[in-house]
Amino acid sequence: MSVSIRITLSILMAIWCVGFFFEWLIPLNEKLLTLLPFLHQTYSLICHQQKVKLITHNGFESLVCSRCAGIYIGLLAGSIFSLFKIPHRNPKIKVLAMCIAIMLLDIAAYSVGIYQYSKLIAFITGFLLGSVAFSYFYNGLIQLFNEFIKPR
Amino acid sequence: MPSLVCGFSAGVLQVVPLVKSFSCCLVIPLSAFIALILEQKSTNNFNIISAKKAVMIGLFTGIFAAVFGSFFEILITFITKQNDIIITFPELQKMVGNFPVTEDIKKEVLHLFQNVRNDILTTGFSWLYTFSLVINDFFIDILFGITGGLIGSQIINNRNNNSKYK
Repeated sequence: MSVSIRITLSILMAIWCVGFFFEWLIPLNEKLLTLLPFLHQTYSLICHQQKVKLITHNGFESLVCSRCAGIYIGLLAGSIFSLFKIPHRNPKIKVLAMCIAIMLLDIAAYSVGIYQYSKLIAFITGFLLGSVAFSYFYNGLIQLFNEFIKPR
Repeated sequence: MPSLVCGFSAGVLQVVPLVKSFSCCLVIPLSAFIALILEQKSTNNFNIISAKKAVMIGLFTGIFAAVFGSFFEILITFITKQNDIIITFPELQKMVGNFPVTEDIKKEVLHLFQNVRNDILTTGFSWLYTFSLVINDFFIDILFGITGGLIGSQIINNRNNNSKYK
């Protein structure tokens, strides 16, 4: 996959990530406030948006929870990493399974009260999953491009 | 058919009160992944899944999820005259009130949503709400469906390759 496509992919992912930190942009242009409820609805489709699980800073809140933010930022990090080093052609499924297991373990642990919900742990487990999932997404895109370039 | 079944399930998960509070960004991609597995089982074809096929199954799973999700959301809003906009309106007022912007902008935003809220409370239907809901559902569900299809096909192909060499 050419560098320009990889850069475009990274830019699209960056736009998506900026979208859920939209509240931080409103002081730059107050007219953006009119878009906030619509974006809130957009991101509500893919995240429960529970108040206690959102990333907060300076009174602003993210539009997705810490774990979802971690997944998307992980995907973004993977896409940026792919600009410098091509992801492995056949990523090991054990690594993905391990990331999913860690995430499920965190969900189970705080759900049964072993420890309190931690935004940092949720973010890290999401980030791990997102960054590993990117290599699968990347390989899927390569396969798709190859099928279009070299149709059977 | 697998896309229809999984898309329907995902659409319902996005709408049903209580259940939707557990929904997350993995619901639609997971539906596309399950649709791929069901497709393989229904056709008894366990060969490598082409990316084109994965994209198509993901696309249709997303489309069905959006169609059913939007339909049920509009229907439930129409019958109950209640939805997230009504429930979260006081929160929205508070949130907008706290933003460091001029009063005119705050009034403009709240006026817009007050109109939507009034329409839903009186008739159970708002054009603006319906329009934004349908656009959002189709955009997000299709995007996540295709992504889930692509990632899912790689996982299935990878797993099948590994089991072949064992």
